[in-house]
Amino acid sequence: PGRRRCRGPGGRMGLEPLFQAWSYFRRRKFRQCSDLCSQLLERPPGEQAAWSLKMRALTEMVYVDEIDMDEEGIAEMMLDENSIAQVARPGTSLKVPGTGQGGGPSPAVRPVTQSGRPITGFVRPSTQSGRPSTMEQAIRTPRTALTARPITSASGRYMRLGTASILTNPDGPFINLSRLNFAKYAQKPKLAKALFEYIFHHENDVKNALDLAALATEHAQFKDWWWKVQIGKCYYRLGLYREAEKQFKSALKQQDMVDTILYLSKVYLRLDQPVTALNLFKQGLDRFPGEVSLICGIARIYEEMNDISLAADYYKDVLKQDNTHVEAIACIGSNHFYSDQPEIALRFYRRLLQMGVYNCQLFNNLGLCCFYAQQYDMTLSSFERALFLAENEEETADVWYNLGHVAVGIGDLNLAYQCFRLTLVNNNDYAEAYNNLAVLAMRKGHIEQARALLQTASSLAPHMYEPHFNFAILSEKVGDLQRSYTAAQKSEEAFPGHVDTQQLLKQLKEHFAML
Amino acid sequence: MSLFKARDWWSTTLGENEEFDQGCLCVADVDNSGSGQDKIIVGSYMGYLRIFNPHPVKPGDEIQPGDLLLEVQLREPILQVEVGKFVSGTEGLHLAVLHCRKLCVYAVSGTLGNVDHGNQYQIKLMYEHNLQRTACNMTYGPFGGVKGRDLICIQSMDGMLMVFEQESYAFGRFLPGFLLPGPLTYSSRTDSFITVSSCQQVESYKYQVLAFATDADERQETEQQKLSSGKRLVVDWVLNIGEQALDICIVSFNQAVSSIFVLGERNFFCLKDNGQIRFMKKLDYNPCCFIPYCSVKEGTINTLIGNHGKMLNVYQDVTLKWAAQLPHIPVSVKVANLQDLKGVIVTLSDNGHLQCSYLGTDPSLFQAPRVESREINYEELDAEMKELQKIIKEATKTQDILPKSEKHRDLIVTAEVSPDLDAESQAIDSEVKAEAVPSVTVKITIQSRVTAQKPTLVVCVQAPLAVTCDQFVFDDLEPDSSETVVLSVFLKGNCSPSELEGDCMVSYDISTGIPKVAQCSFRLPLRLICSPAQPSKAANHKLTIDTNKPPVSFLTIFPDFVDPSEDDQANALGFQFLTGSKTTLLASKTSQRYRIQSDQLEDLWLITKELTLRLEEHFKKQNCKDFACTFTGSIPLQEYFELIDQHFELRLNAEKFQELLSERAVQFRAIERRLLTRFKDKTPAPLQHLDTLLEGTFREVIALADAAEENQANMFQAFTKLKSATHLVIMLISLWQKLSTDQVAILEATFLPLAEETQELGWEETVDASVSYLLRTCLSKSAKEQALSLNSQLSMPKDTSRLKKNITLFCDRLAKGGRLSLSTDSATQQAAVLPGGCATIPESDLEERVVIPGSTFPSPGQTVKQESKP
Repeated sequence: PGRRRCRGPGGRMGLEPLFQAWSYFRRRKFRQCSDLCSQLLERPPGEQAAWSLKMRALTEMVYVDEIDMDEEGIAEMMLDENSIAQVARPGTSLKVPGTGQGGGPSPAVRPVTQSGRPITGFVRPSTQSGRPSTMEQAIRTPRTALTARPITSASGRYMRLGTASILTNPDGPFINLSRLNFAKYAQKPKLAKALFEYIFHHENDVKNALDLAALATEHAQFKDWWWKVQIGKCYYRLGLYREAEKQFKSALKQQDMVDTILYLSKVYLRLDQPVTALNLFKQGLDRFPGEVSLICGIARIYEEMNDISLAADYYKDVLKQDNTHVEAIACIGSNHFYSDQPEIALRFYRRLLQMGVYNCQLFNNLGLCCFYAQQYDMTLSSFERALFLAENEEETADVWYNLGHVAVGIGDLNLAYQCFRLTLVNNNDYAEAYNNLAVLAMRKGHIEQARALLQTASSLAPHMYEPHFNFAILSEKVGDLQRSYTAAQKSEEAFPGHVDTQQLLKQLKEHFAML
Repeated sequence: MSLFKARDWWSTTLGENEEFDQGCLCVADVDNSGSGQDKIIVGSYMGYLRIFNPHPVKPGDEIQPGDLLLEVQLREPILQVEVGKFVSGTEGLHLAVLHCRKLCVYAVSGTLGNVDHGNQYQIKLMYEHNLQRTACNMTYGPFGGVKGRDLICIQSMDGMLMVFEQESYAFGRFLPGFLLPGPLTYSSRTDSFITVSSCQQVESYKYQVLAFATDADERQETEQQKLSSGKRLVVDWVLNIGEQALDICIVSFNQAVSSIFVLGERNFFCLKDNGQIRFMKKLDYNPCCFIPYCSVKEGTINTLIGNHGKMLNVYQDVTLKWAAQLPHIPVSVKVANLQDLKGVIVTLSDNGHLQCSYLGTDPSLFQAPRVESREINYEELDAEMKELQKIIKEATKTQDILPKSEKHRDLIVTAEVSPDLDAESQAIDSEVKAEAVPSVTVKITIQSRVTAQKPTLVVCVQAPLAVTCDQFVFDDLEPDSSETVVLSVFLKGNCSPSELEGDCMVSYDISTGIPKVAQCSFRLPLRLICSPAQPSKAANHKLTIDTNKPPVSFLTIFPDFVDPSEDDQANALGFQFLTGSKTTLLASKTSQRYRIQSDQLEDLWLITKELTLRLEEHFKKQNCKDFACTFTGSIPLQEYFELIDQHFELRLNAEKFQELLSERAVQFRAIERRLLTRFKDKTPAPLQHLDTLLEGTFREVIALADAAEENQANMFQAFTKLKSATHLVIMLISLWQKLSTDQVAILEATFLPLAEETQELGWEETVDASVSYLLRTCLSKSAKEQALSLNSQLSMPKDTSRLKKNITLFCDRLAKGGRLSLSTDSATQQAAVLPGGCATIPESDLEERVVIPGSTFPSPGQTVKQESKP
C-alpha cells in the first residue's frame, strides 16, 4: 500500500511537550527547547521541571568554559597585591621572563612579544598579556590596534557575554533575579545548581551567584565539592584569589576532579606562582594519568616561562594522548620552524591543513615554511591563499610582510619595497615593516629617510632590538658616534646577548677612548 | 578535526521529516535466526518501526529493497526500542517498544520465501501494558537475579520507576529529589539501577530496596501533597559529578573489570561498582552519544564517542586512538555484527540518516575552495605590471594623488553672509561679558547637477567664534536641485578671534559610490566683533602703513562704522571690541599714511587686515591697479615675544598641573589599595583615618583638575592672541619685504602650523623647528650651517630664548635679502622627514652607495596566530 504522510513537520504525533523539550535539549536544539518550555510555562501551573529545563537551555546557549576565560586588564594588573615577591628569583615568576635559561631561543631567531616572551604558535586569551610595572607605563605603553586590549578592565569580555541575556530573551529577562528568594532555592539542590549556572553564565551576575552558592553550600553542610568550586569561581572573578584558592583546595580534598585542578592552577598563575601550578598539574597527572588538559597546561606554563624545549616535550606528550590536538601541533610546528627545521614544521602545518584547519594564518605559515624549505613553487600560491582568506587588515598586513621577506630573499628589492609599503597600508603600526623599509632605504642611500623610519619603528616597538641596532649602525656610518652609542645601548638592553651590538659598542668605546 | 573519515559500508535515509533520538536505535538478532547476525531496529517519533538487515554486495552500495525486512506504522510515537527475553516461557528474543503511554512487546518472525523474492517478516503483539504516567525511557535486565528472562523498568517523566515482570506489573516507586529524568540503566552485577539525577550526581538504587520500599501508588493516596518525596527509598551510593549526563552504560568484558561509564555534558567518567571514579577525561567538544564496545588490551576498555562536530572518536580508556569524520551528528551509536562482518559501527542522526560504517584510512579530504585567480598570461602580466609600476612612480613623484579639480563641478556650495547683523541676536551660551552679543546670518546654498547621495554639510568657524548649528544632513539630492540652510555666527568665547573666516564643506557620494567633497569659505563682517567708538589719542602700540595713493576718507571705506553726520570721523575712527579693548584708526591728512593704534598688540591685527582689504577693494573699484601698501617701521618683535612668553608660561603651568595631578593620582591609588586590603581582611582592622586621607586626596585631585581646566581656558585665550599677533607679524614682514604670494604662503606655513596644539607638541617647538629649518636651507649663509642635523625629536623647550633668537635672526636674514623658497634646485636640499611621520618616499634609480653590513631583518615573525579550539 502507498504510504501516506499527511502530517507536516510540526505535527508531533502525541508527544508529551515536556518530553519533546527534554529531547530537544539532549540534541542541543536549545532554541526550540526554550520556546517549547516557554509555552509550557504559560500554562498554569508553572512547572518546576520546565522552568529548570529552560534555564539550562538558556545557559547552554551562551556557555563558555570558565577555564578558557582569562583576561587581565589594567585594573587587575596594577591593583594586584597578591604576588608574593616583587623581585622574584629567576625561574619562579611569570612576570620576568627568564632569559638564557633552559635554552630559550634568542630574539635574533624567534621574535618576541612586548613582554619579552618568544611568540607562541597558538594564540590563547592569556598569551598576549605583558605585565607592565606601573600604571603610568601601562597607559603609555605603545600599543597597536592589535594589543590595545588592556586599556579597560578585564570585564570587557564578561560584559559582552553579559549582554547575551538580552540576545536570547528579547522581551526582557527570563528570571528577575532581584525577586528571587535565594534562601528558598538554596534548599532545593535539584533546582539550585541549574539556577546557579544560569545566574553565573547567562546573567553574568557574579554577586548574586555567590550569594546563592554560599547559602547552598551551607545547606549542603559544606559537603558538596561542586558548590565549593562554584564559590571559588565567583571569588576568582571578583579578584579574591586567596579565598578562591581555599575553596578549590577544600573541594579537591573531597573529590579529585580535573576541572578543579585547572581552576586552582589558574589561581596560582594569577598569583604569579607558576612552580606551584606546575606541581599541582603533576600531582593531578598522578591521579588522572594522560589527561590532555593537564599536560597541555604544563606545556603552556613552560612556554610562558621561556623554557621552549620542555614545553615542546610536553606538547609531544599531548599528541601521544590526543593526536588531533591543534594547539600542540601548531606549537610544535612553530618551534621547529624557529629552530631552523622548516621542513619538519611544514609537515606539522600540513597536518593541520589536512585536519581541516583552513585559515589565513595557516597558509601564511605554510608559505613561510615552503620558502625556507626551498619549495619555491608552493610559496607564492600559499601566500595567495592566505591573502584570499585574510579576514581583517591585520592579517593582510602579516601576509604582505612575509611576502616582503620572500622578496628580500630572492633579491627583488623593488617588490620587497612595495610589499612592505602594502603592509603599512594595511596596518600602520607594523614596526617590523618600518624597520625593513629603513634597511631598504639605507641601501639606496636615503639616510634621512632611513633614520625617520627607524625612529618610527623603535617608537612603535621598543622591545625590538633591530631598529635600535640598525639605527646605531646608520649613525656610525654617517659619523654621529654619540647617537650610535645611545642606540646601541638600547639595542643591548632589548637583547643583551646580541654579538654584533656588543662588537659595535666595543668599537665605539675604543673610538671614544682614542678621542 | 580529523585526518580520516568513517568509510561508508551501507547507508540509507529513513522517511521524511521524521525525528529520532537516543533510544530509537537498537541492534540485535531480533528474529532469533540463530546465525549471530544482528538486525538494525529503528523506531521514530512518527511511529514508524523499521527493521533492516543490510547486505550490500560491495561497500558503499545503495540500499536494496531486500535490506528492509519490515516497516510498520504504529499508532503512537516510539520513544525507545529494546530487544530482550521479555516473554515468559521462552528464552527467545522479543522486541519491546516504548510509547508515551504504552509498552508493547512483539515477536518478530520471518517466513522463508519459496522463490527469489525473499523472506517475509511480520510482527505479532505478545502483550501490552497501558501506563498511568508519561514514559520517558526504560531499561531491562534480570532484576533480582532471575535466570533466563528479562524484566523491564520504565522511568516516567515525573520520576517514577515502574517495574514489569513480563506480562504483569510488579510495582512503581518514586525517585527521591526528582526533577527531570536522566539516563537510566541496570547493573546486573550489583543488581541495582543507576541514574544521574537533577542534583548532578550519579545515584545507585538496589533493586531489593526498591522492591521493599513503600508502594508509590499506596503512598500517593495517603500523602498526596508530596508527590515525589519517597523518603524511605534509600540510595545505595551517590557520586557527585557536577554536571548532567547524556548516557550511562555498564559493561563487563572478559579482560576488564566491570565498570560504569557515564557520558557527561563536559566530561567522560568511568566508575567502579561502588561509585568511585576509576578515571575521567575532560572533553573539549560537545559529546552526543557513546558506547563502550570491547576491550582490546587487558585492563582497558575501548569506547566510541560521537560529538556535535560530526566526529567519532575512539578512546582506549583516556587515550585517543582514532578519530573519524561522520557525515552527520549521531544521536545514537551501536556496534553490530552484520553479514559476517564484525564490529560495524551503526549511527543514526536525528533526521533519520542511518549509516553502517567502518574505520579506514580513507582521508577525510578537505577540499579547499579554489582561489579566484586568472589564467596566467605572462606577457599580459608583465605589461600590466609595468603599467602599474609607472603609475606608482608617477604618484610618488608628484606627491599629489588627488586628481585636479574639474572646472565643471557636479555640486556647488555657496555661502552668502548677510550685509547686516541680525535684528534679533541668535547668540546662545556666549561667554562674552558685553551687554549684547550680535550675530550675523549666513545662508548656504547647495546646488547639485547630479544625484548626490547622503550629502552632509559641515560649517566651521575658528573658536572663539561659534555657529548656531554646524552640521546638516540632507536627503539624497536629485539632479538640478538645491538646498538652502540658514545659520548664524556669533562670538562665543571671551576673546577676539584671530580670523574672521569660516568654511563650509559638503561631503557626498555620487551615484557610483565614490565619495566627493565640495567646499567654500566666507568672510564675516567686522561688525560682528566690534562696534564704533570714540577714537582715542594715546595708545601703547602704533603701526603706520604707507600707501602709494592719496588717502581715502573713512566715510567711503568704512561706511558701516562712520556716522555721516560727524565730520571729524573722516580721518579718525575708533573700534570697540566686544571683549572690551579699543583700537583707533587714523588717516594722515597730508601724507599717504594710515596709523593703527591700540593698547594691545593683538588687537591691531583685525583692523589692519580690514583696512588693507578695504583699501584694495576700493582701488580695485576705481580701476587703479598699481595700488600697494608698504611698511617701513621695524617689526614689533619685542611685543610679539612678550605674547610668546605669556603663552609659554601657561604651557609650563599646564605641565606642572599635570605632574601634580599624576602625583596625587598615585597617592590616591596607594590609599585605595591600602583601604582595599583592610576591607578584604576577615578581621577588620581599624581604618586609622585612611578614609579621611582618601577624601582629602580626592578633594585635592578635584581642585587640581579644576585649576588645570582654568589654566587650559587661559591658554586657549593666550594662544588666540598669539595667533592674532602672528598674523600681524606675517603681514608686516610681507609688506616690509614686499614678498610674493608664494613666499607669504611659506611664511604662514612656518609660523602657523596646521596641527592642533597639544601639551606634547606645542606651537613653540613646531615653529622653532620650521624656522631653524628655513635658516638652515634657503636662508643659510654658509655650507657649514647646512651640515647641522635635524633635531630628531620635537619636545617642549625649557625656555623660549632659542626661538626668539631664531626669529630675530630670521628677520635679519630676510632684511639682508634672503629669499624664501622650498624649491629642490638648491643642492643642499635633503629629503627631510619629520620624525614619526612617514612621507612618501621617492623611488630613485637603484644606486648602491652605502652598503651596510650587519643590518638585520627581524626573523619572519608571524606564525599561526589564532586557531579556535576545535
